Amino acid sequence: MSDSAKLSHTAALILQTVENGCSYGFDIMDETGLPSGTVYPALRRMESDGLIASQWEPEKKAQAEQRPVRKYYRVTREGLHVLEQSQKRYPLLAKLTSKSRR
Amino acid sequence: MPSPARRPLAVVLSDWIVAVAALLTPKAQRSDWKREWRAEIWHRWQFLWHARMWSRHEKLALVRSTLGAFQDAAWLLKSHEAFWQDVREWARSPFTCFGALGVLLLVTTMLSGGLPATRELLSARSNLLFIWIHPSGGGHDKGLPPDLVPAWERYSRQVAKVAAFQIGRAVADQPLLVTVQPEFFDVIGVKPALGTLPRQGAVVLDDRAWRSLTHANPAAAGSSLKVGGDSHKIAAVLPPNFWILSRQPTVYVVQREITKGLVFAVARPKPGVTRRQLDKELVRIAQEVCYYFLDSQLRYAAWTNVLLTPLRLFGIAVALAGLMAPLVFRFRLRAFRLAATRRTLFFIAKATLALAWVFAACLELSRSESAILLGSKDPGDGPFLVWLYILGTMGVLFWAVADQRARCRVCLRLLAFPVRVGCPGCLLLDWSGTELFCSEGHGILHVPHMAPSWDEEDERWISLDESWQGLFASGK
Repeated sequence: MSDSAKLSHTAALILQTVENGCSYGFDIMDETGLPSGTVYPALRRMESDGLIASQWEPEKKAQAEQRPVRKYYRVTREGLHVLEQSQKRYPLLAKLTSKSRR
Repeated sequence: MPSPARRPLAVVLSDWIVAVAALLTPKAQRSDWKREWRAEIWHRWQFLWHARMWSRHEKLALVRSTLGAFQDAAWLLKSHEAFWQDVREWARSPFTCFGALGVLLLVTTMLSGGLPATRELLSARSNLLFIWIHPSGGGHDKGLPPDLVPAWERYSRQVAKVAAFQIGRAVADQPLLVTVQPEFFDVIGVKPALGTLPRQGAVVLDDRAWRSLTHANPAAAGSSLKVGGDSHKIAAVLPPNFWILSRQPTVYVVQREITKGLVFAVARPKPGVTRRQLDKELVRIAQEVCYYFLDSQLRYAAWTNVLLTPLRLFGIAVALAGLMAPLVFRFRLRAFRLAATRRTLFFIAKATLALAWVFAACLELSRSESAILLGSKDPGDGPFLVWLYILGTMGVLFWAVADQRARCRVCLRLLAFPVRVGCPGCLLLDWSGTELFCSEGHGILHVPHMAPSWDEEDERWISLDESWQGLFASGK
């Protein structure tokens, strides 16, 4: 992402939450209190900007547990760099989300 | 705790919301997108179920959260380049041009409440005639001496019915005041929607005046109304959509005899009576009551003619558009007769549709302003804003020509990707101009920035054969 300094507070919060271990949409919604209409488009945008990456869990595992496969998000190296910058810009960011999930 | 055998209603509803929202997503991403949302819903439900938190509140929260799928889908659609490419292609399409004009017509129809004035044209009151004097010497007001109309009524054998009326001065934001004889409504052929038509000293409101002055009071007949400083009793209300002299709110003050000022006459000649016969008889009667100056000064306006004037103007405008078509195309594409025919038909259809919109809009949105603007008090002169119609027609024709020139000569799509070429200072060898391409690869239009005097054609269309189409298609 070329213009990382302009990451909005909401986007930075979501990125921080993903970094804290919330790896799917509803979990991020629970953690941040943001609605799904904000979280999912933000995830898509950050994914297209290369800040996060998504991955489907192995099909076999889901089949064995008789449940649908789930998509997980994780922060990329570039995302970590941007998050660092965002934390400098928004000092309260790290305090807003708990780090206990990892 | 075992999972329930059937999915609860909240989950079914959430899945259904996702299925509907998925219709917005680009096709290539739809399957994955649905899969992700449905998995999230399933896991949410299972988590809450096993945590014994699957309450009514949580069910509602799940459905509410799933509604965000629409925003998510809309974001995906918005960020999908192919979607915008489709939008651009759609905007360039010749069918979009027709669609936009159709929407304009539809909006005008809705705003005007179903084109009442246009429908009125088709149901014109037959053989209704307005009569007045247009003094040849000039300098006089138009109108008839008030005692002439009773003489015509008494002695004429050619006129079945005649009545006098007087139009009051138009005042902005005030209803139009028209003084009429009691026979006026009989001649016009209108019956009241409320109350009974009076013989003397009362007023009749048209539907617009009834709505604006009495707030559509159904018990208005019999009540008093202050008009022009005097208080009058409201005797009747005319039916909706009725108008005769003006489409602004009108109050008809009924008087048995009109004795002051000049009047107009509205008459209904007997069947088979020609204008010449009628004129001869009316002038003779006028001379018998000592009005010797009427010869060749009486003016007649058939109501049907007054109403059909806008339609004639429309016909002229369409014919003009038809005549312009060959001039616009200059038949450059003789080799492609099919394409030239298609372009001509498209131009005529587009111009006709746009002219029809201008016609309907001017007719429906006008009231009696044209009569005021043209300084005329001729009855029935202007339910139509002639000046606006002329301007609108010119605008439409200019637009139609400009739009046509900006379209591909083969597929009629709007040309795209403007590129500036050449050097503005190098007039001899390196022509500066703008080149526009057809997105289907049919050709390039070169529009010079400065047209040379020795070159007749200011724009140059360069046709490209099929071998180019792959190149343009790949650029989409």
